[in-house]
Amino acid sequence: MRLNEDPVAFEAFYRRHVDAVMRFTVRRVSDPHLAADLTADVFLAVLDSADTYRPGRGSEVAWLYGIARNVVSAQHRRAAREARATGRVAGRRLMDDDDLARMEERIDAERQMRGALEAMEGLPEGERAVLELVAIDQLTVSEAAGALGIRQVTARVRLHRARRALENVASPSAVYLEGQA
Amino acid sequence: MSNFEDRLLRALKEEITTRTAEDGMTAVTPVRRGSRRRLVGLSAAVAGVAAAATAVAVVVTGLTGDPAYAVTRGADGVVTVRIHSFTDPDGLAAELGRAGVRAVVDYLPEGQTCAQPRGEHGGGQGRFGARIGRDADGITFAIERGQVPEGSTLVLAVSKSADGDSAPPFATTLEIVRGQVAPCEPTSMPVPAPSQGGTSEGQDDGPRLDSGTGGEGPSLSSRPG
Repeated sequence: MRLNEDPVAFEAFYRRHVDAVMRFTVRRVSDPHLAADLTADVFLAVLDSADTYRPGRGSEVAWLYGIARNVVSAQHRRAAREARATGRVAGRRLMDDDDLARMEERIDAERQMRGALEAMEGLPEGERAVLELVAIDQLTVSEAAGALGIRQVTARVRLHRARRALENVASPSAVYLEGQA
Repeated sequence: MSNFEDRLLRALKEEITTRTAEDGMTAVTPVRRGSRRRLVGLSAAVAGVAAAATAVAVVVTGLTGDPAYAVTRGADGVVTVRIHSFTDPDGLAAELGRAGVRAVVDYLPEGQTCAQPRGEHGGGQGRFGARIGRDADGITFAIERGQVPEGSTLVLAVSKSADGDSAPPFATTLEIVRGQVAPCEPTSMPVPAPSQGGTSEGQDDGPRLDSGTGGEGPSLSSRPG
């Protein structure tokens, strides 16, 4: 079963995760059109990366979030903007007014999460990445480790350091940083 | 009603189809056409046919002799299947899956077929049965885009010839099942009842049911119901 060849398998995968992917994007960007583009880009990247997908082996969630992180990273966004000019699936073109309103609601709902992400900006990249996935995206530590391609113990250490560093920042968003481990 | 998520899913699935088609064009040699149209004889009939009710158009022709099977997906989304040797049903089903057609394939000894029903019929009632011309080169059929809709499965059961795996089959059944497909329970084939069938039998030139496929040879086609 290959996600990029079997439309039935892909649909099942998509339906399982589309909501999470949209949430992932609106936590990171506040423009509804860009959020739609990124949602589409994440699933296109899923098709591109389908070779590395192993159903039942490791966590599907970890695999997906690993991809989503790359897609939503600022660097990728720049490249994608150029690619999109000729691209085949542009998320924003698939939105009507209702969708736009719904996307804006989603963006509003995640405002605090975006604030929390901003609060993490001062952290070293490796630590921030783990904390982001665990506290913001509610992944388990092992899923976060899988998404980042690091060992669980490494993830745990980084998470611990990140939390300790943030304790020193009296941030109102700290309350959101208590993810599940 | 559709929304962004539905539209995106649709666009992505089209993308899958496009990519698969592109792969197919580069990786697979197109099926040779036209040159070997003559069918030497006729297979035994398949009973219980209600061709008009099912959602498939099938082209049945003779083939030239290449190994086991080949599945080709054209740019127009038409998946062409040719089976030369009835030896690797799972491999063929997997190959069809890669071409975007979910399929279940069973090869059975002569005179055996799978007990019916295999599931709910996609695209209408009744079941689709095709007679396959006896020919040294095997069988071929084509599935047009959308004929095995999402959630449906192409179910192929071949009753092999007693003369061997590469001999023209005794009978072939092709149908579309919506949802779950029951595993094949081998059973003796029912005696053909010509008046029931949607197919007709010629004598020397293979099945010729409705040649609406422009020179592709004998064909059997019906529209989705």
